[in-house]
Amino acid sequence: MIFQRAFSSSFILSAVLALSACGGNGTSGTVNLDVIAADFSSKISSAFADLTSVAGLNAKALTNLFDEKFLDGGSTKAELVSTLTATSTALGTTPELSLFPLASITNVKLTGCDTKDICTLNGTLTNSDADTTTVDFSTKVIVIGGIVYFYGDQSSTTSI
Amino acid sequence: MSNPFALRHTTAAVATLVGLISVASVQIASAADKANTKAAGTYVTGDFHNHSTCSDGSLSMQKLIDKSVKTFGLDWFVQADHGGSSARNCTLREDPFEPVPTALGLTNSATGPYPPATFPSAGQPASTLKGPNQSWESTLPGGRADIKGDGTATPKAMWRWQEIKEFQYKVTEDESRARQKPIWMGVEQNAPGHEHVSTTVLQGQKPWPQAGVMGNATLQAQFEYCFDRSDTDTSRGAENQWDCSVAGTTSTDALDATARKIKGTNAAATPDLGHRKTLEGIKWMKEKAPTTSYFVPAHLERAGIYNPTGNNGFNIEHLRNFNNTAPDIAFGFESMPGHQASPQRGEYAPNRGASLANPTGGVDSVGLGTFGGTGIYAAKIGGVWDALLGEGRKFWFFASSDYHNRGSFGPDQRESNQDFFPGEYQKDYVMVRKGTNNLSAEAIIDGLRTGNSFAGSGDLIDRLAFVACAANPAIPRPAFKALVEKAAANAALKNAEVRINGCATMGEKLVVAPGADVVVAIAVRDPQGKNFSPYSFPNPSLKQINITQPLDMPVLDHIDVIGGNVTGFVSPTDTAKYAGIEGTAAASNPSAGVKKVFNSTNWTATSDGLRVMSYRIPAVKVSQYLRMRGTNLPAATPFETDASGNPLNDYDLSPFTDAAKAEAEKPGKVVCADAACPTHMRTVAGVKYSSFDVAAWADLWFYSNPVYIEVTGSVKVAGAK
Repeated sequence: MIFQRAFSSSFILSAVLALSACGGNGTSGTVNLDVIAADFSSKISSAFADLTSVAGLNAKALTNLFDEKFLDGGSTKAELVSTLTATSTALGTTPELSLFPLASITNVKLTGCDTKDICTLNGTLTNSDADTTTVDFSTKVIVIGGIVYFYGDQSSTTSI
Repeated sequence: MSNPFALRHTTAAVATLVGLISVASVQIASAADKANTKAAGTYVTGDFHNHSTCSDGSLSMQKLIDKSVKTFGLDWFVQADHGGSSARNCTLREDPFEPVPTALGLTNSATGPYPPATFPSAGQPASTLKGPNQSWESTLPGGRADIKGDGTATPKAMWRWQEIKEFQYKVTEDESRARQKPIWMGVEQNAPGHEHVSTTVLQGQKPWPQAGVMGNATLQAQFEYCFDRSDTDTSRGAENQWDCSVAGTTSTDALDATARKIKGTNAAATPDLGHRKTLEGIKWMKEKAPTTSYFVPAHLERAGIYNPTGNNGFNIEHLRNFNNTAPDIAFGFESMPGHQASPQRGEYAPNRGASLANPTGGVDSVGLGTFGGTGIYAAKIGGVWDALLGEGRKFWFFASSDYHNRGSFGPDQRESNQDFFPGEYQKDYVMVRKGTNNLSAEAIIDGLRTGNSFAGSGDLIDRLAFVACAANPAIPRPAFKALVEKAAANAALKNAEVRINGCATMGEKLVVAPGADVVVAIAVRDPQGKNFSPYSFPNPSLKQINITQPLDMPVLDHIDVIGGNVTGFVSPTDTAKYAGIEGTAAASNPSAGVKKVFNSTNWTATSDGLRVMSYRIPAVKVSQYLRMRGTNLPAATPFETDASGNPLNDYDLSPFTDAAKAEAEKPGKVVCADAACPTHMRTVAGVKYSSFDVAAWADLWFYSNPVYIEVTGSVKVAGAK
């Protein structure tokens, strides 16, 4: 399930006080960013692995990684859910459907967390279906309750 | 000057044919989810349409092959002379000791040290009755008696079937194995009812990398005997005693009792007979060599619209008929013709073939010229090619050099006012997958068939990775863009293709749910250094817009991504939509248009010439295709491109006046004013105009084959009749 932001601040402050402080000035500054980043990376890999089946596309594992306010280049969480649902429906009737290119995300690092616990996630994206393609990338995430969620650039402008 | 055969004739002709044609169910490769099952591959360069003295060319097979795969470096080559007959023995090499005729001096046409170099190859140009210009009759041990089949002329001409089977094949196989490149025999068929078609029946041939016992081109020879319009021999191939029947055919045209082939072609008494015979030939290929044959109409706009009582060009219904008959054999066209340096580029012109005796009796090439060196069927957005792609057909674009000679220049000179050698100006780049036999003729034909290929002129680009991917909504957009762009760049650097599940490349289709986003990624390489142009003076076309760019160092200006909707196969019974000349509804796809333009402002350039770009198509709703073209000329280059970047008519740029038409000489449009502009340019009233090879080197294009996007619940791409 997704933690709501109202739930996060004071609870997390006490719960993870023992973890080393690595981040900015918000609550994320009290958690070990390396640990939660690794956890996030693991969840992404698991969720991506499930995207090749109808059940996986309908599962919440992936969408749970996105904050409700996710907005990235005009793309919203609702659209993500809609796309996954449409793909699931299509896959049920069209076995030759071309599923999404998948990738592993490694070397995940969280940095630059601000007072709202919005951080920059840097990572490496790798596709190894046949040839290996690797790119470094960064995106905005939000840390809530010690858990990382995709947050996006909060831009409604599509340029990509 | 216009062609006298009206649309009503062609539609009526088609109506008579539809009952004979079965519309095949065609499957575009849906390879988007099978990346790990696709063997790694490489794009290789080649050409499948050129001539020796065994038809109307000017060189021996050996010299032509040497030029193609050595001088100009092609990876593969097909020797494809016209069908019919020839008196000359093209298997005799040029004589290295023969003095070079003065008129064919190897240094220069008139200006001393310019151009600075020649492209010498084995043997000097052969003059009359020397080398490959000697006759079969005078050079065979038994003389005339060794020439089989019908014929009374002196010297006796040899039918192409005998040339192929008994003489030419051995040369190709020897050359192939010695040079360690796939080289094999084809035929430029004089197609009954039409003009020309590039064909191959590979079965039996054993070019490199095969070794051991010599193969044969018996089936290729038989195809020529049975289905070439100019082969009127009735001997059944002498001792071969061929029979041209096609198993299971529904044709009602009877075989001649003696010749055992359908005799005749389109004529007043037998309208459309030739076209039906050509269809029989495709069926024959399908029966005899279903995976190692191809049938690709050549310079198909040149001879005008289809003529049911003559042998002219091709309308869209004929291309549909071919493709319906055998989609794995009739899978494309040469809409970028050879003869690019000829007086009338591509030999496309109005009133083509007129004579002094009948100065208005010629036929208009469809489009009245080429457009940036490409025929109107492919060059016009929304035209014939887009109509075929809009059906979801497998129908691919190819180029050929169609080499015969260099006009007033010798074969080792670098100027030309007629043709370019294979690989010198145009190339087909074809994906060949690595297997046990890495680069083989079979693998090349497979590559041609799949549509994973592109073609271009002047080495404008030499690498291309073109891919459409289903956007993964869970990967941040910039990251996904970076991933597919990197994959395209990596592929282009390796001269390979993108192999990622959920991505489709040329000739393949991507199948996505409605509403999915698709990301299109492109990487091309604009090769650094010089191409094969002998001219380093500024491109006169670009000079008009104050761009100074050497003719031998072209720069890719922009790329257009062209797209259109797929609406499904048209039934042959729907005559209004199935049959029609260029410009009619049947030959149009109104949904086609330029979807995206890339240039230096929105691509990423690297120092090695790579240009990488991508864009997102949001929420696709209907099945569609995407293809590309690119050029060295910006939009609105006077007399070359219009404001939208479309190529303009090349004949208008250089309206060469054939003396046979008894017309006054007309000036060109683009002045060739540089001091280095060669002396053979068209000169009117003392002014030199960009023409011949200079006009061709000035105006370069490439075309990709399409990527299809099929949206579930929308129209199936090539999956239905």
